[in-house]
Amino acid sequence: MSHLDVQRLFQRAFRRAEIPVAYSQGFNPHPVLAFATALSVGFTSSAEWLDVRLENEIDSDQFMKRVNEALPSGFRVLEAVFADDTVAALSALMCAANYTVSFLCAVNDAALQTAIDSLLGGEIIVNKHTKGGMKDVDLRPKLYRLVFDKPGKLLITGEVSAQGSLGVDLLMEALFARLGEEYPYAVHRSALYSKDGLIMPRFG
Amino acid sequence: MNHKLLESLFDRVEKPARYTGGELNQIVKTDAPVKFALCFPDVYEIGMSHLGSRILYNIINQRSDALCERVFAPWPDMEALLRENGLGTFSLETHRDLREFDIVGFSFLYEMGYTNLLTMLELSGIPFYAKDRGEAMPLVISGGPCACNSEPVAPFLDAVLIGDGEELIGEFLDVYLCEKKKGVSKHALLLALSKIEGVYVPAFYEPQYAPDGMFSHMDKLEKEAPDRPKRRVLKNLDAAKYIGNPIVPFMPIVHDRLALELFRGCTRGCRFCQAGFIYRPIRERKKETLMEHARSLVSCTGYDEISLFSLSTGDYSEIHQLVPEIIDEFKQQRVSVSLPSLRIDSFLKDNLEQMQSVRKAGLTLAPEAGTQRLRDVINKCVTEEDLLRSVGDAFEAGWTGLKLYFMIGLPTETDEDILGIADLAKKVVNVYYSLPKEKRGKGFRVSVSASSFVPKPFTPFQWEAQNEKEELMRKQQLLRNALRSIRGVEFSYHAPDISILEAVFARGDRRLAPLLVAAYRNGARFDSWDEHFKLSAWNAAFTSCGLDPAFYAHRQRNEDEALPWGHIDMIVTDKYLKAENSRAHKEQLTRDCRDGCNGCFGECYADYCKV
Repeated sequence: MSHLDVQRLFQRAFRRAEIPVAYSQGFNPHPVLAFATALSVGFTSSAEWLDVRLENEIDSDQFMKRVNEALPSGFRVLEAVFADDTVAALSALMCAANYTVSFLCAVNDAALQTAIDSLLGGEIIVNKHTKGGMKDVDLRPKLYRLVFDKPGKLLITGEVSAQGSLGVDLLMEALFARLGEEYPYAVHRSALYSKDGLIMPRFG
Repeated sequence: MNHKLLESLFDRVEKPARYTGGELNQIVKTDAPVKFALCFPDVYEIGMSHLGSRILYNIINQRSDALCERVFAPWPDMEALLRENGLGTFSLETHRDLREFDIVGFSFLYEMGYTNLLTMLELSGIPFYAKDRGEAMPLVISGGPCACNSEPVAPFLDAVLIGDGEELIGEFLDVYLCEKKKGVSKHALLLALSKIEGVYVPAFYEPQYAPDGMFSHMDKLEKEAPDRPKRRVLKNLDAAKYIGNPIVPFMPIVHDRLALELFRGCTRGCRFCQAGFIYRPIRERKKETLMEHARSLVSCTGYDEISLFSLSTGDYSEIHQLVPEIIDEFKQQRVSVSLPSLRIDSFLKDNLEQMQSVRKAGLTLAPEAGTQRLRDVINKCVTEEDLLRSVGDAFEAGWTGLKLYFMIGLPTETDEDILGIADLAKKVVNVYYSLPKEKRGKGFRVSVSASSFVPKPFTPFQWEAQNEKEELMRKQQLLRNALRSIRGVEFSYHAPDISILEAVFARGDRRLAPLLVAAYRNGARFDSWDEHFKLSAWNAAFTSCGLDPAFYAHRQRNEDEALPWGHIDMIVTDKYLKAENSRAHKEQLTRDCRDGCNGCFGECYADYCKV
């Protein structure tokens, strides 16, 4: 599902749940609803954060209950917090995320560890699509952690912010390049952090 | 079906949401005495937009003795993967193989879906021809508007359901279950089914051809089968089941909004319009029923748009009450209302303003022809004055975009009629620019679209010749040049090849079935999609089968000629269609049948219509 599809899914769920979502002013009013950040297509997640402005305050437990009853299977609200207007948008608060990469076939752990060590040892130059065409960028400053979690699983922590985010698929591409071999894998986002612990958990 | 293997393919195709299922309001049953595969011979986005399938899905699944699952044509990327992995066509609900169903039913809304029928059958190892399918194979049936002339696909089908499906499908399943319980043969089952009004079993009829290749008549092979299978008409639409709690797709689909069907049938009698003849008589839902449907649909789906749907929405008898009421009721929930297929002369200035207050929707008008003379020929009772007044109202209400639909290649058409389209477009543009600046919106655009006329069975034009390819292309260029200099006008049109093929199959006979198989073998798929349409596959198939497309598409038929679909009783009489054809050539209008009965059903079925 694309990010737009997910947004529309929540809009519809809110309408089914009769949540009084506020609409923007202007020529073509739209619901005031924004995810902290988009999730890449094909990734799973247990840590997406969504800002939604309401017309009037409702009890957050009630909110969760009603929305969860309206959401299709596979989608669930785990936590709801009231934020007043002094709190910045989630997209401005977020700073990092955890990802788990699961390999979908048997992998050579030792060779993979060597490749990880090599990646962490210096610049990670990848070729990235940007507005100005293909460009070489260094992923290393955005990569905070890359370790074996369990056999067949990698734990990645990287920057997620308006200034730029770590592309997990790009990182995996770089890893496979060092390894000289590619494995099929699935990516799950397991945490999204904020700098100061506002709304989302504090990073570090 | 190897579910793990199948699901592993989803990551490897474009738009996996076409195949995964699992949407809100999907109905999943593990087993039932009769398993029905509701097949649509196109991709998910198109098939999920089909109202008829939504209705059948609800009606069949409401039965405790039946389950109904959706099956769509796999896009070529998925088809390749299914073949590579030895997997069949599968349902969305439980990823069940098509072959594991008892009944496999296809909705044919347009002829160009026929090759996808073959793909879907072949992937699951179901033989194309009904005669080659043994007792253990599912019944393959069809329905939808193309069912009025199923002959080109008749050899592939065990039964065809003609007409409204709401009651028909239930009776079909009742008889199916009852006969199956008795353990009867497929032949006996089909015979029992053929006695239901609206069911046509092609194997019980055999076409005969004259030595010169002309269709001569249909021989009935089974004594007990009806002489003329008759279209089923649902008498009480208001009381009929609707779409229940409709599925809400994860991905965008073509009609991504709630459809509220106001009425079925149309009283206008535009002579080119098949729907206008095969859905008669007009049957309305009550305003109260519609409001109830709307409330329940919004609350179970969360959609933010309701579309008032029917062949000519502006003709709904309570339209002036319904539109404000529905807009008003849903304003708070920010649900907008759109009115598609607006007829020009029924334009409602007040309603336009109300629609505007909720959200700006596109506006489409279909004058169909460029001159009054030709509009009289086709019985499109719209005057230039009506049209210009309507667009003026729309522009004043803030609309800045407009779509105008026309057809080219209509019977009796001359170059003057083609140039008339450009004249009309120019006048529409002038209406906009003659408004004071402060009264009109910015970013004005008129898009003119011209499709190629396809003569259809059971219309007064069923005997008419379609223009040949070169002539259609010449007319397109003539119009393109004439529109070029008009400010704010965009012109869109399509290569005529698909329209010609559509004309072949619309009025085709059973000799086209092997042609379909040949074209399919040559790689024809998704023929209604420009990006997939493969003219060479079709040309080679015509050559190898020794058939000429011109025989079907471009030949003027004699009114005495036997027609391959003549044994189907569509309720509207042959006599009426002939009379209408003759009036067309005399440029005579026929009144809207709300203003007085024109006798289209003849004596026999006069009581079918209570207008």
